[in-house]
Amino acid sequence: MRQHLIELVLFSTYAELRAERSRSYLGLIWWVVDPLMQFGVWWLVMDVILHTAGPGYLPSLLIGLTLWQWMKSCMIHGGYAIWSNLNLVRQVQLPPLVFPIVAMLSDTVKFFYILAVLLVILWCSGYPPNLAYFGLLPLFIVAFLLSAGIGFMIAALVPLLPDLRFVIEQVLNVVMYLSGVVFLLSNVPSPLREILALNPIAVIMDAARGVLMHGLWPNWVGLTKATLISLVACAIGVWVVGRLASRYPKLAT
Amino acid sequence: MTNEILVELHNVGVAFSAQRRLSANNRFWALEDVSVTLRRGERLGVIGRNGAGKSTLLRVIAGILTPDRGTVRRGVVSCQLLSLALGFTPHLSGRDNAVLSGLMLGLRRRDIVQRLPAIHEFSELGDFFEQPIAAYSSGMMMRLAFSVAIQVEPDVLLIDEVLAVGDAEFQQKSGAALRARMGEGHTVVLVSHDENQIATLCDRVLWVEHGKSVLEGDRDDVFAAYHRDLHLVGAAA
Repeated sequence: MRQHLIELVLFSTYAELRAERSRSYLGLIWWVVDPLMQFGVWWLVMDVILHTAGPGYLPSLLIGLTLWQWMKSCMIHGGYAIWSNLNLVRQVQLPPLVFPIVAMLSDTVKFFYILAVLLVILWCSGYPPNLAYFGLLPLFIVAFLLSAGIGFMIAALVPLLPDLRFVIEQVLNVVMYLSGVVFLLSNVPSPLREILALNPIAVIMDAARGVLMHGLWPNWVGLTKATLISLVACAIGVWVVGRLASRYPKLAT
Repeated sequence: MTNEILVELHNVGVAFSAQRRLSANNRFWALEDVSVTLRRGERLGVIGRNGAGKSTLLRVIAGILTPDRGTVRRGVVSCQLLSLALGFTPHLSGRDNAVLSGLMLGLRRRDIVQRLPAIHEFSELGDFFEQPIAAYSSGMMMRLAFSVAIQVEPDVLLIDEVLAVGDAEFQQKSGAALRARMGEGHTVVLVSHDENQIATLCDRVLWVEHGKSVLEGDRDDVFAAYHRDLHLVGAAA
């Protein structure tokens, strides 16, 4: 049973990516061009128009946006996955978590394409590869767990309350501004800085910039705290989906 | 047929939400009080008028719906509803959709891959098998969907009016394949409005009306009672 579910999740992820690639003329080129265009907008506003970008700001911004886009898409796509698959939920007995996990895995595959482009940009901008890159693995695992936990919670509620969709994106925009995605935590005055540093997303952003730009290993204490928060978020998400699972097949379309 | 009980329903009721609400109030009962016992090797037909709760009953037996009252006892058996085109994705090829749909229907990937030549042949899709199904006609789509679904071999096969699909020729072929599958000694629950099909294919019949099981037993006895009731209702109207 477990192996069957793993096969189903992996093939569904492949199917989703393949279908998405086929839906447009340029296919997977969009996975990279789309975030690049977004980087361009931020560069235009922050550097060219507002001249607020100091040295090292643009690479920091690129790292923040790349990670945030991945985390946000896992939360949003994973969060809507049970709701958008209600037709299947009514026809077949599957654990509902299959749907958010597939959405999150396919977003993660796309993230690695974008990450490759980001790394090339960083290397060309004078931030060469370094040993601390090994610290990216635990960092990405924590980022995925945290996004998955939040995504599962959203996924549990959206089928029962689809109106949440109108709020979630705005809430996530606020979260982005409170998480040091577009600014450096070190630029925030104390004591606000200490408060923001409690946010696990801010910890992840800070650590990723340290690794990619300065060759610094992640702050393991901060990362351990972020891991614990992520695991709790996952546990709550899985529990809520489990509690509500029997109601999804009974919902009207 | 043995006496081994595979699935047993006792006074099962299932309520649906009439409107989308967080609270569980505001419900209507699609099934109110159904009891039925399914033994290994049995072929049970379910009859009843539209809206009687027949399809809901199948989904309870399949484990998709959890009853809101009553009890379901299920042995360590797989119960699969024969759903056509489950998980079909327009931009994927017939081959990929066959794998995806087979996985959704509970097959292991190696089993589906092994059966792909049979699926390809049965569906009569030729080179279209490698094309995205967005390019298929509805008939071609149904042929592929049926060819995948017929590969499923659960302990209990649940069929809801899916006995024949596609054009007249394929209808004969698919109907024959399904009848052959049902004749292989599998445990089957069949919902159909076609009484002849149920009379031909099933040993026992359950009559459901307004979400309640009215009568369960020998095919001829249940049909006789059902026809008497239809006649009475018709005469009263």
